[in-house]
Amino acid sequence: MLSINKLKKTYTTRDGELEALANVSFDIFPQEFVSIVGPSGCGKTTLLKIIAGLVSKSGGNIDVDKDQFDPSREVGFVFQDSLLLHWRKVLENVLLPIEILKMNKGLYRQQALDLLDLVGLEGFENSYPNELSGGMQQRVSIARALIHDPKLVLMDEPFGALDAITRERMNLELLRIWTESKKTILFITHGINEAIFLSDRIIVLSARPSRMVNVLDINLPRPRVQEVRTSPDFGTYALEIYRSLELI
Amino acid sequence: MKKYSLKKILNDVKKGVRKNFQASLTIIGFFIFWQIIVVFFQIPQFILPSPLDALEHLFIPQESANYSWMLHISTTLYEIALSFIVTATVGILLAIVISWSRLIKDIMMPFFIFINSLPTIAIAPIILLWMGYGIKTNILIAFLVSFFPVVINTIAGLNSVEDDLLDLVRYLHGSKLQIFIKIRIPNSLPYIFSGLKIGSTMCIVGAIVGEFIASDKGLGYIIINSQFTMNTPPIFSALIVISIAGALLYGLVTLLEKLIMPWREIQTTNQ
Repeated sequence: MLSINKLKKTYTTRDGELEALANVSFDIFPQEFVSIVGPSGCGKTTLLKIIAGLVSKSGGNIDVDKDQFDPSREVGFVFQDSLLLHWRKVLENVLLPIEILKMNKGLYRQQALDLLDLVGLEGFENSYPNELSGGMQQRVSIARALIHDPKLVLMDEPFGALDAITRERMNLELLRIWTESKKTILFITHGINEAIFLSDRIIVLSARPSRMVNVLDINLPRPRVQEVRTSPDFGTYALEIYRSLELI
Repeated sequence: MKKYSLKKILNDVKKGVRKNFQASLTIIGFFIFWQIIVVFFQIPQFILPSPLDALEHLFIPQESANYSWMLHISTTLYEIALSFIVTATVGILLAIVISWSRLIKDIMMPFFIFINSLPTIAIAPIILLWMGYGIKTNILIAFLVSFFPVVINTIAGLNSVEDDLLDLVRYLHGSKLQIFIKIRIPNSLPYIFSGLKIGSTMCIVGAIVGEFIASDKGLGYIIINSQFTMNTPPIFSALIVISIAGALLYGLVTLLEKLIMPWREIQTTNQ
């Protein structure tokens, strides 16, 4: 549904040109879970923001299969921080994209409640974000990213700010949400294990300027359970990613 | 859930009573101290009247004084209320217009800073010259003194939005108007209210200064007039009324703040 070709991004800074992305190419197919792994500052976020239209590209192409989806309305974005509007109750936060896209809010109310149910926040629709924990806030932001029924969901290290245990729980939840909602997910992380556990495919980026150093198909059985983390295949994938990132 | 909220409300009430109890104790203590000092040191009334003298002047009709407190108090309160409403409305709207575009900001800000740096006392006579004696003049003076903090605070609030929060609207191709209505303006509410609190105090200053210069009624007029005749008690009566009015207006703004931003309450109780 999305084909990225030789995508480039250079920033002009005071010290001259700074190359953030160099020749990144990959395809995303419908209902796939694709992760991008790379060191901090390797331009992963930039890549995601280019796809979302928040940052302009310096070269290359993003080809969209227009029959399959409309990139101006059918993208959902989950940011590193939950970015909830603290003056709005949870339900109103989830409905924000509907308001921005000028769709009928009344028609989506039930959908929003169902999504809150899906992300495990049933009964919290009238709470203010301040009343929720960090993990719960990020769940709200996932529900918000899904409300306008996007085909492609972009996730920028959504669990980066959570503690390790909450993060593992959220990984399981995300897989469940992904299976039930049948979305295509492009997920950014610097957690190698997280990427293996979640993905169908992993794209490994090098440090700046980012080049693709590896693409791995993850053939672990689905539905994934925690035990899969201890399987020999899991270790083999991890080793390969370590090698690609020159960590060993 | 219900039990929790009931408990919370009871707790809030208890806290409120205790806080107000302490505040009123302080004020009552201050008046008692003042009364004792005056009586003990036998301070002449024309230098410092006791609080009882000042209050007596308010409540017992004075044959010698040829004025009605009701008229003067209501005049001043009317000026304060109206100038505050004008200040709040115009100040917030101006801030939104100024924040809307860089160009408008660059053109208008220097002018406002210029206006604001003029001392009120210095421009009041000119306004008097143009507009004559009366309530309108005082309201304009009060507005000129107090609108600036509202404008500046509101602008600060409108601009203090994280870039990521704007991205949230932008990736859905939201408009600038949507960003203002859904993000910038609600985000600026706490700033607006702190501007309004400063503005409310300044409105009172402006109204009284206006009455000093350009009035034949109002509490400011009483102060100036009584000073000429060395009749000190009414000055203190007026001061007491002014400070009560100031406290009430401040309390009103705080109450409005709590009603409009209930999520802030939750934040403070959680901490």
